Amino acid sequence: MTAALARLRSWEGLLLAILIVTVALNLANSPYYLGVENIVNLFQLEIEKIIVALTMTLIIINGEIDLSVASVMGLSACVMAWLFKMGVALPLALLAALGSGVLAGLFNGFWTAYVGLPSLAVTLAGLIGFRGVARILVEDRAIGNYPAWFNELGQQAFLGPLTLSIMIFLALFAVVAVVLHGSALGRLVYVMGNSLEAARYSGVRTKRVKMILFVASGVVAALAGLLYAARLGSVRGDMAQGFELDIITIVLLGGVSIFGGSGNLVGVGLSIFVILNLRNGMGLANITGNTQTSVVGALLILSVLVPNMAQLIHNRWRGRET
Amino acid sequence: MKKLLLTTAALAMLALLPQGAFAGDIMPGKDVKMVLLPKFLGILPFDQAHQGALEAEKELKNGSALQFLGPTPENSVAGQIEIVTNAATQGVGAIMISNNSGDQIVPSAKTAHDKGIKVVTWDSPIPSGEAEDLFVAQVDFAETGKVMADMALKILGDNGGKFAILSASPDAANQNSWIKAFHDVLKSDPKYAKLQEVDLVYGNDQSEASYNQAVALVDKHPDMQLIMAPTSVGIVAAAKAMQDEKLCDKVKVSGLGVPSEMVAYTMNGCAPDFALWSFVDLGYLAYYTAYGLATGAFEAKEGVSFKAGRLGDYKIAKDPTRSKGLRIVMGPFSIYDKSNVQAAAK
Repeated sequence: MTAALARLRSWEGLLLAILIVTVALNLANSPYYLGVENIVNLFQLEIEKIIVALTMTLIIINGEIDLSVASVMGLSACVMAWLFKMGVALPLALLAALGSGVLAGLFNGFWTAYVGLPSLAVTLAGLIGFRGVARILVEDRAIGNYPAWFNELGQQAFLGPLTLSIMIFLALFAVVAVVLHGSALGRLVYVMGNSLEAARYSGVRTKRVKMILFVASGVVAALAGLLYAARLGSVRGDMAQGFELDIITIVLLGGVSIFGGSGNLVGVGLSIFVILNLRNGMGLANITGNTQTSVVGALLILSVLVPNMAQLIHNRWRGRET
Repeated sequence: MKKLLLTTAALAMLALLPQGAFAGDIMPGKDVKMVLLPKFLGILPFDQAHQGALEAEKELKNGSALQFLGPTPENSVAGQIEIVTNAATQGVGAIMISNNSGDQIVPSAKTAHDKGIKVVTWDSPIPSGEAEDLFVAQVDFAETGKVMADMALKILGDNGGKFAILSASPDAANQNSWIKAFHDVLKSDPKYAKLQEVDLVYGNDQSEASYNQAVALVDKHPDMQLIMAPTSVGIVAAAKAMQDEKLCDKVKVSGLGVPSEMVAYTMNGCAPDFALWSFVDLGYLAYYTAYGLATGAFEAKEGVSFKAGRLGDYKIAKDPTRSKGLRIVMGPFSIYDKSNVQAAAK
C-alpha cells in the first residue's frame, strides 16, 4: 500500500517536473506565452476536451471506458443545429441537445450496467452510432448563422478574461473533486474500480453507480459539444471527431489506471496543464502537424508503459525474493 | 487655414510622383511575418504552393522567413483554428489560408483580422467571406465547370453515359462551387444532355477513404463509366482503385490532378484526361498579394489593381461565387493527356 502510494506520488512528481520543464521552455521560447490572451487561448483551444476529461476520469477510475464521448459531442451539436434550422427557438434546441446527451448516457449505462456488456464494446457501438445520427441530421452541410448571443457565449470573455467554457471547466473540476475525493459516491467509484465483485457482495448498488456515471458523461459531453459549436459558430457532422483519443490520453497521462481503481484528480489536473502547455508551446514555436501529434503520442506511451513496467519489475523482484 | 495649406501641398506632391507608384506597386525589402497555412501537410499541391511562396519571398526580399504551418489531415479543422489563433497571438503581418474549415474558421480569423492581420485565402475561401480580406482564386469557377464537362464529354463520347463525382469534404467551398458550376454547364448546352450523373460521394481528401469510395461506386453503379474527381487526392485514389480492380477499360477517371502524381494513370489509360492550374504560381500569387496588403502597397477594395511579379497585373473584383467577398483570379487551366503529361510531370 505504501509502495503504491509512493509510486502515485512519484507519478505526480514526474508530471510536475514535465510541466515545469515545458513552462520554462515556453517562457524562454516565446514572448507571447505569458500574455493573458495566450493563456486564455491555451485553455480555449482545447477546452471542450478537458471538460469531458473530468467525467472520463470518473468512468475510468470506475473500471469502465466511454469511447462515445466525441460522438456525443457531435450528436449534441448536430441536434441543436438541426432543430435550429427547422425553426425551433435556440434555447429549446439547446435543451434538446442536452437531452440527447442524457439519452446517449442512458444507452451506454443500460447495456453496460444492467445487461453487463463490456463498456468498451457498448461505447464503441455508441461512437459509431451516435456519429451516424449526427451525420444524418446535418448531412453534408454546415449549419451556422446562430443568434449573436450564442456565438458570443462561446467566443468572448464572460467574467474578466475568462470565457464561459473556462468557468464551466473550473466549476466542474471542483464538483468532480468533491464527488471523487469527498463523497460516498466517490468512494464507491474507487471500490468498484478495484473489484466489482467485492463491491457487489458488500451490497453496493453497482448498477446505479455505473448508470449515474455514464449519464453524467453523456450530459457533460453534450454540453461540451454545444460549447464547441458556440466557439466555432458553425456546426458540421464531423464535429469533434477523434476527440475521444485526446480525452482518454489526458486521463491516462494523469496517472489514472486503465484497469480502474486508482488515480486522482490532482494527476489529471496536472496532465491537463502539461498537455495544454505543450501544445500551446509547440504552436507558438511553429511546430505543427505530425510533430505535435507524435509528441503527444509519445507522452501517452510513457503514461501507459512507465507505471505498468514499474509494477512488472516490482513483481519480478518480489518473486525472486520469495 | 494651415490644414488647407498642408492638404494642398500634399496634393501637389502627389501630383508630382510618377503615375506608376499609385497602381499598387509592391515595394520589396520590407519585414513582414507571414504564415502560409495549407488545408493540411503532406500532399504535393500544397508543397508546390509553398515552393511558389518561397520564390516570391526571395524576390520580395522579406526580412522575416515564411512559416509554412499546417495540421494533420485527421485534425484539419481544429488544427487550422489553432494555427490561426496562435498567429493572431504572435501578431504576424499576414496569414494565407487554404480553408478547410468552412465557416468554422471565422471566429479565429476574425480575431486575427481585428488585430490588423491581413487574412488572404487561396485555393479555398471562407464561404461567408467574413474576416477575409481577399481570396486568391486559382481559376474562374465557371471555367472549372466547363473544363470538367468537356473532359467528361470527350471521355464518354457523344452517346453519353453514366458518371459519378468523387469530391473532397462535403464542406470544401471550392469543390462545392466547382461541382455546382459543372452542373450548371451540363444543363446549359444540349450537347451534354446524355451525360448522366448517378452519384456524388466524399473521400474527405484522404487517400484510403477516397479509394474505398471509388470501389464502392463501382459496386453501386455497375454501368457507370466515369468517375469525375475535382480533387488531387481523390483523382489519384480513384485511378489507383480502377487500376487495382482492373477496371480501367470500363471505368475512366478524370477531374483535377497533379501531373507528377497522375502521369502513370494517364499513360496507361486509366485517367486519359485531367486538368489543373499551377499550384506553384498560386502560392507565388498568394504571397505577393498578402505581402502587398500587409505592407500597404494596395488595399483590398473592388477595382484596385496591382502587379504580382512575373505573373503580371491583377484586378480585385467581387467574388460572384459567394454572397460576400472579394477575389482575384489567377487562371488559366492546363489540360493534360498522353501528349503533354510526361513533360509536365518532370
